[in-house]
Amino acid sequence: MMGLRLNPITLKRLTRFRRIRRGFYSFVVLAALTVLSLFSNYIANRRAIVVSYEGTLYFPTFQYHDMATFDQQDEYGFDDVEADYLALQNRLDAEDQGNWVLMPLVPFDPYEPDFNYDESPPNPPDGRHWFGTDSQGRDVFARLLYGFRISIFFAAALVFVGQAAGTAIGSLQGFLGGRFDIYSQRFIEVWSTLPFLYVVILLATFFKPGFLLLLAIMSLFEWIRMTYYMRTEMYREKTKEYCLAARSFGASRTRLIFRHLLPNCLTPLVTITPFAVVGGISALTALDYLGYGLPAPTPSWGEMIDQALSSQNRDKLWLSVAPFSAISITLLLVTLIGESIREAFDPKQYAHYR
Amino acid sequence: MPGRSLAMRLLLLPLALLLLSAPVTADNATEITDIEWVTNMDDPPIGDPAAQKGGTFYTSMRAYPLTLRLVGPNSNDGFAAWKRAYTMGLSLVKRHPTTDNYIPVMVTHWSVQSDGRTIYYKLDPDALWSDGEPVTAEDYVHTWHMMQSENIVDPSINQYARDYYEEVVALEPYLLKVVGKSESWRPLDMFDLWATPKHAVTLEEGFPERYNNTVLPVQGPYVLTEQVAGQYVVFERLKDWWGYGKHYMQGVYNVDRIRIRVIDDNDRAFDFFKKGELSYYRVNTAKKWAEEMEFDAIKKGWAHRKRLFIDYPQGVYGFAMNLEKPIFQHKDFRKAIQYLFNFQEINEKLMANAYYQQVSAFTGTEYENRDLVPYGFDPRKAREHLRAAGFEKRGEDGILVDADGNRASFTLSYGSKGLERHMTVVKQTFQRFGVEMELRLLEPGTNFRNGLEREFEMTIVGRTAGLYPAPYQYFSSELKETKNNNNVWAFGTAHTDSLIDVYRFDTDKEQRVAAMYELDAIIQDEAFYVPFWQAPFIRFLYTDAIVFPEFLFPKRTEQLTDWQVFWIDEQRAERLEKAMAADQSLGEDTAVDVDPYLVKDRIEAALRAAAAR
Repeated sequence: MMGLRLNPITLKRLTRFRRIRRGFYSFVVLAALTVLSLFSNYIANRRAIVVSYEGTLYFPTFQYHDMATFDQQDEYGFDDVEADYLALQNRLDAEDQGNWVLMPLVPFDPYEPDFNYDESPPNPPDGRHWFGTDSQGRDVFARLLYGFRISIFFAAALVFVGQAAGTAIGSLQGFLGGRFDIYSQRFIEVWSTLPFLYVVILLATFFKPGFLLLLAIMSLFEWIRMTYYMRTEMYREKTKEYCLAARSFGASRTRLIFRHLLPNCLTPLVTITPFAVVGGISALTALDYLGYGLPAPTPSWGEMIDQALSSQNRDKLWLSVAPFSAISITLLLVTLIGESIREAFDPKQYAHYR
Repeated sequence: MPGRSLAMRLLLLPLALLLLSAPVTADNATEITDIEWVTNMDDPPIGDPAAQKGGTFYTSMRAYPLTLRLVGPNSNDGFAAWKRAYTMGLSLVKRHPTTDNYIPVMVTHWSVQSDGRTIYYKLDPDALWSDGEPVTAEDYVHTWHMMQSENIVDPSINQYARDYYEEVVALEPYLLKVVGKSESWRPLDMFDLWATPKHAVTLEEGFPERYNNTVLPVQGPYVLTEQVAGQYVVFERLKDWWGYGKHYMQGVYNVDRIRIRVIDDNDRAFDFFKKGELSYYRVNTAKKWAEEMEFDAIKKGWAHRKRLFIDYPQGVYGFAMNLEKPIFQHKDFRKAIQYLFNFQEINEKLMANAYYQQVSAFTGTEYENRDLVPYGFDPRKAREHLRAAGFEKRGEDGILVDADGNRASFTLSYGSKGLERHMTVVKQTFQRFGVEMELRLLEPGTNFRNGLEREFEMTIVGRTAGLYPAPYQYFSSELKETKNNNNVWAFGTAHTDSLIDVYRFDTDKEQRVAAMYELDAIIQDEAFYVPFWQAPFIRFLYTDAIVFPEFLFPKRTEQLTDWQVFWIDEQRAERLEKAMAADQSLGEDTAVDVDPYLVKDRIEAALRAAAAR
């Protein structure tokens, strides 16, 4: 796809997409959030961003520094446990000797419980934890932020793998036709009846679940849908005159596929992709909700919803507001983008004959 | 000790051979002439003789019973407890729920022979089926035949019959002989039986279908009178039940009607109780108990809550380390884990301080070694042990590494999502001190099976317990060699085996207790089992119409409805109805925590003493 030159029609479509404002702005907002989420570790973390201590600069975000580094000690007299940067900041500010700590905006990570409250968690939102804490005393905002990053990149990776494989297989089916098409189509029919959830649960008992394993398992099922569209597109396009013309000029198969057919089959791919992202996010959330997604304590929206819906937390509103709004907003943004793309790519606008 | 147990077995061998070769169908009359009959009429009645009979008790169950049979497909569901306690499953001889002594139920006398497996019972001639027929020895033989029959389609009962009973003989209409498969020091518990009405039950093919919903004659105090599929069942009390005249049966089974409604969701059942539609509700979570008890009916005195401290064994519950895995082969590493487990923090922050730490592997039994000191959270000691295990340096990610580059890391498999929030907190604590514990939630059945198969590094075991510990199935080295058993940790030495043998075969209780205390201490020292917490109480809510005897309830209460020592006071019921109709407050409150057997005191004192040591 990368090698394709944008033809005038595609350019026109892009211009049209930009003109549909709700879609375009959604795209901008989502892109900004996604880029921002890449820097989550600098936004919500109990590790400092920069520490200047005794003339040395430390960047602890991705590096373990023990207490000894900063002449700290915990209540057991240990100095090899991880440095406490909040306490360090307080100490250095008080000492005022030119040493300093730059903490992230939210000085909590999504894992460490904060038990510095009299009431047992979950604790309602306050100045310390903007979105409150969850039932383990972890910061809800931090979990939301890291959860967004995982969701969106998981969905993006899943959709990329799924659409690429689906496009390739579907196109081949449509282009080659014949025996290959018949056999592969039967295989797809069988494959698509496998109960996805049970396969995930089953595989989770044999392998240690993780981001990549889950991605691989879900990709096994994700590609199927795309093949249906690409197959029909190819079947239709390859019989059209321009294709026959190209063939009669002696165009090679490769050229035929990549130069002529694929660009004309892209509409379903482009329009379905945003909705596939929605599906990806929802699927991961659902799996996490059931407990068969990413292993605890990975910050995840599904796990947050599970907490919010448990009977013990029925009256803890902040636990449900945060993940539900986050999911609704994200899905809304993606859906708006998808819908605008679909509108921009709508072939009816170019129809001369009605 | 091993020598001793061998000698004991050698001594028993000829005896066993003699017994096996003895003609069992010999002249019955001569066999029973020199029997020394035993009974016990000296203990207090189980209930309060002043209890009133009458009233209706409303309660709930999770699912509608699939069958009324006691054996066969689907018979072992939640409804089985009701059936056994109230209609069919009465024991021959039972332990008094408060004194633990044996008391007659369906018999007048019994006699245990010196072989530890032959028992004679003199059946109570007063005992009648609800259709008026007498309960005879033939009815017990019929049960034995039923248990063996393939027509009942219940392989586990068939297996049970094969494993436990050598023979069951009706010597005379009211004289029963039961011979167990192997000797036991508590044959009356092991080889107990219940009666099946021979005149009403045939064992021909089609048994499961024929008796699926048949209301059979009962020997117990209740008959099932109404059943509406999917909605409710009603038990009604037999006004002239033969047992009410018996010494021990005074003041038990007091309620006239028991209406059990199907409510599949626990929270919904709670809502029903709040509205006054249930007489009883058991509270299962500490959080609910701590936070949701201030509702209207409680404030107005229409309902009360109680936390009954009970003396009932707690079972094994905690982390199990797999000794077959390299990481847990170093005892010091296991001890470090013990010292890093911060029960106090979890209890205080996540469980409203509701529970007590378990220390022993046999908590709540007579064989619990109460002198054991819990490890307790102690990072300094943990660090010493980690160093001794070779983990001294922290790696780049802050996790300890030994000289060979092995990380102090393992995976915890668990099957209960409800425990996840506790485990993530434990994980963070471990991580702070350089130990990585990865969490792996499995489907509960898979996790259970993986436990039996020892397919884990560390897992969470939770097993219920009977009155007597079962050390063989958890700690025997014989089971260590095979898989698919409860010795999940793969533990066992020749020495601990000899201790287990003392417990299993020695008839001297002091010897048994001493052996189990030693075993308990060894288990703690070997540190492969990190006991979690115990809940030595039942938390429940009940309406104001219910009255308890002065002693409140028997000591070994597992379910409040087991013996039903409470009763419904008609006047109070009327008063409650009026108060609810007029929305008036009754304004009485009762003590929430009740501990007549001083269980709480005992546990807290033991923990205090341990802390002081």
